[in-house]
Amino acid sequence: MTDVKIDIQPDMTTEVTATERADVRSYLRQWAMPHVLCPGCAHGIVLRSFLEAVDQLQLDQDKIAMVAGIGCSSRLAGYVDFCTLHGTHGRAPAFATGLKLARPDLNVVVVTGDGDGLAIGGNHLIHAARRNIDMTVLLLNNSIYGMTGGQAAPTTPEGAIASTAPQGHIEPGFDACKLLMGAGASYVARVFAANPIEMTKVMMDGLSHPGFAFIELVSDCPEYFGRYNKIGGGPEMLNWIAVRDEGIAGPLSEKRFVEHIPVKPPAIGVKSGVLQREIRPVYAGVRAAEGQHT
Amino acid sequence: MTRREIRIAGAGGQGVVTAGRILAEAAILSGKKATHSQLYGPQARGGSSRSDVIIAPDTVGFPLADNIDTLLALSQKAFDKYVPELAVGSLLIVDTQCKSDTPPEGALYFPIVDTARLATGGELATGLVALAVLQAHTGLIDADALRKAVSGRIPQQHLKSSLEALEAGMELAPQGALT
Amino acid sequence: MTIQITMPGEKLIQGNEACVMGAIASGCNFYGGYPITPSSEIAEHMVRRMPKVGGVSIQMEDEISALASIIGASLAGSKAMTATSGPGFSLMQEHIGFAAMAEVPCVIVNVMRGGPSTGMPTSPSQGDVMQARWGTHGDHPAIVLAPASVGEVFDLTVKAFNLAERFRTPVILLYDEIIGHTRESVSLPESVTVIDRVTPDDALEEFWPKEADPDGVPAMSPFGDGRRFHVTGLAHDHRGFPTNDTAVAEALINRLHRKIDAHLDEVIEVEEYLLDDADVAIFAYGIVGRSAKLAVERARLNGIKAGLIRPLTLWPFPTAQVAEVARKVDTIVVAEMNLGQLVGEVERAAKGQAEVVSHLRTGGEPVTPTALEEVLAKIDGGNA
Repeated sequence: MTDVKIDIQPDMTTEVTATERADVRSYLRQWAMPHVLCPGCAHGIVLRSFLEAVDQLQLDQDKIAMVAGIGCSSRLAGYVDFCTLHGTHGRAPAFATGLKLARPDLNVVVVTGDGDGLAIGGNHLIHAARRNIDMTVLLLNNSIYGMTGGQAAPTTPEGAIASTAPQGHIEPGFDACKLLMGAGASYVARVFAANPIEMTKVMMDGLSHPGFAFIELVSDCPEYFGRYNKIGGGPEMLNWIAVRDEGIAGPLSEKRFVEHIPVKPPAIGVKSGVLQREIRPVYAGVRAAEGQHT
Repeated sequence: MTRREIRIAGAGGQGVVTAGRILAEAAILSGKKATHSQLYGPQARGGSSRSDVIIAPDTVGFPLADNIDTLLALSQKAFDKYVPELAVGSLLIVDTQCKSDTPPEGALYFPIVDTARLATGGELATGLVALAVLQAHTGLIDADALRKAVSGRIPQQHLKSSLEALEAGMELAPQGALT
Repeated sequence: MTIQITMPGEKLIQGNEACVMGAIASGCNFYGGYPITPSSEIAEHMVRRMPKVGGVSIQMEDEISALASIIGASLAGSKAMTATSGPGFSLMQEHIGFAAMAEVPCVIVNVMRGGPSTGMPTSPSQGDVMQARWGTHGDHPAIVLAPASVGEVFDLTVKAFNLAERFRTPVILLYDEIIGHTRESVSLPESVTVIDRVTPDDALEEFWPKEADPDGVPAMSPFGDGRRFHVTGLAHDHRGFPTNDTAVAEALINRLHRKIDAHLDEVIEVEEYLLDDADVAIFAYGIVGRSAKLAVERARLNGIKAGLIRPLTLWPFPTAQVAEVARKVDTIVVAEMNLGQLVGEVERAAKGQAEVVSHLRTGGEPVTPTALEEVLAKIDGGNA
């Protein structure tokens, strides 16, 4: 059984349609190209969707600070023409906390991955959520450690093959959104990389949310996860993600899909969309203007 | 004067740490240099309390006790622990409730705890009474400096009774009987 | 820039409190920490003082994030500090390296307690001297200052901020539990000189974050002020962008060292006492430096020609100063509250010109003046 809240739809004020997609090249450091991402990796789609959200919201390019950790997802920070901090493994929410408290006028965006944000950096992520620091966290979940060669992550589904789980992973995976809801994140959403329009919508929603906004972007890793688990390349993996999105064949939250591992009866499927939204006081630190925690 | 090393030792709740700070502050107000250190950690929570104050005319140098020359023993436990460590010829001021088979040579006994109780209704001012005795007996710090240091450190609601305890302590000293 | 200090007369101040006062005098406006004995008073004072100076204080979830938070704040233009002790200092090593590599000014205070591991939380030690130099991985520069008194905690906290800003590097203030917890009479200076990081004056579009001036220190632009740039702990080029070009990486690492090594006169501070005619010198730092000074004075009264060399800067090591002492004296006694961490450096600097012996103490008891007086008497007796 699950107690996950579902069907809380984003409060959309701005419609985005496929025909209106923006030219986002002005937000990219074109001198830094080519990027390091593999063919078929959906992280680029996530990045484009994010830059469209920035463009749609007309955010001041000088006032965006993107803070990243270590991993494929975190490399995105290098390619965007904002103030960007490529920190240490898992610690991006902690760097971002200091940055935001010192410069509240900045739009602080953390870009992290499932290993970065949920394994080595899990502690920092849940505490930033608990404090309700005003930042947007994009967690790109590709279910594996891509940059270092396909090792198992805390999101690798039970039974899935990874380089450190050659017989199939024996641990259950984290449900990132449930974790963050438990930690008190005031905004939690999950979107699938196969659905770029919805990604942009939810990112606009998250960027506009006053407080800690957590968005899990279910991405792919065709190079390792797809290859090891015989799913295929980029298109096949996106299709596989899309199928999960429909909640048809084994909900992603259950993290079980390989046949030789017994699959529990599916609970209510966790699908894309906004899973939690509440307005509560934003943490500003102990500072002069307020004199108190606010 | 030369370097003086004073140890105030007693039980938790006797105001030993506060007394140490006040002694150091009074020494500064008397135109001297001073340092204060205290016991931290589990020892400090076990019911024992200790303040060491070093006073010197120009510069303290080593800020901790190296050779204690003055001990204010305010509880039996403190008496038992620190009197044996004391060098011959040291000044030893003891609360009269501390018992021993053979009182240490040259020890000065005063009813410090009782005086504090009488003045304030509790034991919190015990350390202050001990400072008053030390002041009256040695003149190591100025009496007015001590009063001023107490006024600067003790919260307003306890100040009046604390100053009364201080005066009562200063009157004890001339009566201090050599044993 | 000169900052006036309002501090009437002489006061009894605790070491950890003096550290906070020095930080505020230096313009510190961000504190991120995690409480740990015996440094917690710094956090407790900071949370009260920061709001009064328009600054921010936050208690983070651990020491890793504490240092990360101040690095983030420093990149946003703040003057930032954290404070910790033994186990927390171990956790901070990761980001000490990051701050050195990314050239982010910050001050890290380590109030040393007994180790290893959780060790002796309320007892003093000098066991982290080598960790402060080499604790984080890779070749990195290190500036480590060691005050010996409450007054010096104030002075060296100011110096730590100034060096951090001047050289865009993390600076470690290292003192032990005794200095941190002892209250001493202190007369603070009427004013302090404060150095701020150099900000770029070139046009926005021509700014590269890691283009160094001839001094080896790049100008620093705060996040959010119109210059958009990348900061990374990976080896990087002048654009701040990751590179695998070995020549570029080598030039970067060499510059990180050169920017400090070329300015040792600004960094290294040493107290020398009664060395002119000395036969024997004690080399000691922090609280042991004060035991040593008293021991030297007492030994002189007994006709022993003793002197003291006390480094206020532990790293970079004052090699030239120690070599000079080694030329003057027959014996150098290295006294430390550890099992011998700087004695090797003293030997290296002395190059055999003086005999180097150790007096070491561990387990939580300080090296006392009496103990060092006995050492000096024994050496004098042996030579007589």
